[in-house]
Amino acid sequence: MAAHSVLKYVRPRSIVPQLCRCTSTLSAFEIQHKTPTIKKVMPIPKAHYGGRHTVTLLPGAGIGPELMGYVKEVFRYAGVPVDFEDIDIDPNADNNDDLDYAITSIRRNGVALKGNIETRSTEAGVLSRNVALRNQLDLYVNVLHCVSYAGVKSRQKNIDIVIVRQNTEGEYAMLEHESVDGVVESMKVITRSNSERVARYAFEYAKRHGRKKVTTVHKANIMKLSDGLFLETSRAVAKDYPDIQHNDMIIDNTCMQLVSNPHQFDVVLTTNLYGSIVSNVICGLLGGAGLLSGKNYGNHYTIFEPGTRNTGTGIAGKNIANPIAMLNAAVDMLRHLGHKKHAVLLQDAINKTINKGVHTRDLGGQATSREVVDSILKYIKIAYN
Amino acid sequence: MALLVRNVCKVLSQATQKGAGVRTLHIGAVRHQDNFIEQQGKVKCTLIPGDGVGPELVLSVQNVFKAVNVPVEFEPYFLSEVNPTLSAPLEQVANSIALNQVCLKGILATPDHSHTGELQTLNMKLRRNLDLYSNVVHVKSLPGVKSRHQNVDCVIIREQTEGEYSALEHECVPGVVECLKIVTAVKSQRIAKFAFDYAVKNNRKKVTCVHKANIMKLGDGLFLQSCQEIAELYPKIQFETMIVDNCTMQMVSNPHQFDVMVMPNLYGNIVDNLASGLVGGAGVVAGASYSAECVVFEPGARHTYSEAVGKNVANPTAMLLCSVKLLNHVNLGRYAEQIRDALNRVLNDGKVRTKDLGGQSSTTEFTTAVINSLR
Repeated sequence: MAAHSVLKYVRPRSIVPQLCRCTSTLSAFEIQHKTPTIKKVMPIPKAHYGGRHTVTLLPGAGIGPELMGYVKEVFRYAGVPVDFEDIDIDPNADNNDDLDYAITSIRRNGVALKGNIETRSTEAGVLSRNVALRNQLDLYVNVLHCVSYAGVKSRQKNIDIVIVRQNTEGEYAMLEHESVDGVVESMKVITRSNSERVARYAFEYAKRHGRKKVTTVHKANIMKLSDGLFLETSRAVAKDYPDIQHNDMIIDNTCMQLVSNPHQFDVVLTTNLYGSIVSNVICGLLGGAGLLSGKNYGNHYTIFEPGTRNTGTGIAGKNIANPIAMLNAAVDMLRHLGHKKHAVLLQDAINKTINKGVHTRDLGGQATSREVVDSILKYIKIAYN
Repeated sequence: MALLVRNVCKVLSQATQKGAGVRTLHIGAVRHQDNFIEQQGKVKCTLIPGDGVGPELVLSVQNVFKAVNVPVEFEPYFLSEVNPTLSAPLEQVANSIALNQVCLKGILATPDHSHTGELQTLNMKLRRNLDLYSNVVHVKSLPGVKSRHQNVDCVIIREQTEGEYSALEHECVPGVVECLKIVTAVKSQRIAKFAFDYAVKNNRKKVTCVHKANIMKLGDGLFLQSCQEIAELYPKIQFETMIVDNCTMQMVSNPHQFDVMVMPNLYGNIVDNLASGLVGGAGVVAGASYSAECVVFEPGARHTYSEAVGKNVANPTAMLLCSVKLLNHVNLGRYAEQIRDALNRVLNDGKVRTKDLGGQSSTTEFTTAVINSLR
């Protein structure tokens, strides 16, 4: 008995379980068929020392690097106790070394702020890096809180919708093959366990944030088994939350309803691809890609990014990109890390800037990115004095 | 004019087609103003002068801060084990540190014999209370200070909540005393991760784990193994292991081979002091203790120098370096730079030196010299 316990002591379970096993050693078949599976992860203490957090920063492509520069500047100005570990991923590389290192870095920091990463390589073994990040870190839920800004001219006013999206499977399983020449099959994978996790997250979110209704968006009339399972699971979970109203809606109808009468929605629970569509529709209603921020949660790691996943390569380097989305993502990150004071401070400065009409071109204004950031810095200074 | 515009457009569109070009262009577009951006608002900081010469050194720091007009507000508490009647209650001090998240602290004297029969010292209680698990001592040669080795620059990271300092001792039979050394996987991994994260953040290349696992195969073995496991997460940082006796020898003969070092409690204490001796003694080395939430800056080698109390001869360099680190920690880098430069200038000139560095000047003279060379 004693010997047993001593043995256990000497050999504690390795905390580094098959650390994102280097994908380059796998065959193309294995990559397609084994990588989407959920990686088991064990908790590693977060990089949080003396009240300061270290956060992985993945600037990504397009406007990413310049937006990150603004985030750093605002953070330094407001005295936010967060340090960044910058990691560049080469978009042209034909192997996944940079990606593996980025994942390792997120595993040890626990939290990342990211732009959209480009994958230019067309090799079969090179995964879409955004998808690979989510899969390897098992970030199974994506949350997008869509709120209207009073100062932004948009098609619909006073929208307040939360989109909870399954983030790791469904159409993004990356299982495609050409069975016969000229016939390609793409698999959509829905599992009960993942559907239940994300449904439970949605209802739990609704409960904690005092929301009234959850709407499951699906296409179960056509995909009776896969989307059927998703719908059925969300109905089963809904039974545990009698205080929250639950209904479901088909994706095509949802898009129409969103455009004509978005106020009927509260929390929207949906699968991967539909989530992508729905969130882009709502962002369009609110004022474009430059405003909202998204959150990717797993059990151990979190990644914050702008809400719609565009690189904005066309406007890169022209000083006209809207920095608000990335700054909102940074504020979400501060909330998550528990730096409430700084989060509120930055949020106020951002809201004031938008509502006072300092808008970049995508919102119909004339301001440059620089002017928007300067305005935010000005409001931070006012708040401190 | 039109030609110019067209050319600019052309360059831009060309740049967008080439990945590398885009990246450099972006970085150029972002205006980095590191030196101009500074934190807004005031910072509150707990101050524990400590025993011995602590109050004199703290006064020196306060004078320098006043001269630079640093936006830091001190909240002083007198905490002492040798003078329990004057000491503020530990809870009060701990609460203040927990609230402010930063603290500047002198050294607390620890008597060899406990009056109350308690095994834990006040220092240990404070660390336990706030979970200040990691002690970082940055051993760096100072300009103008003559010592055995030049250009030493290493960081010693020490676990300070368990190991030999567990305060678990008992006499099982008269004449036989057992002292327990506790090593746990959780705390070993935590300190190892701290060391590696420190290395990443400060652009260091190597982490050396110092241990005695050849003798204490289970206890230090667990520490060593935890370090090895965490090292796998940091493929870009070199990892080495060294036995503590060899480490002390290497430290004295060739200290330049070390970068970041991580070790259990007692070894850390010994190596800290040894390394301080290499670069000029207890008066010139700064340290800090970290928990997840707060940080306490204190001199690296823990001596109260009580024989010099009131004589005005102690060297305030260590305490000033602590305050520089404190300012860097709370995003007041500009002030930190200013004070560090002034300090370096005074040390480099070598005209004003305290006794421990072979001079005749007093503490106040040294402080005045630093204030006068501020720019």
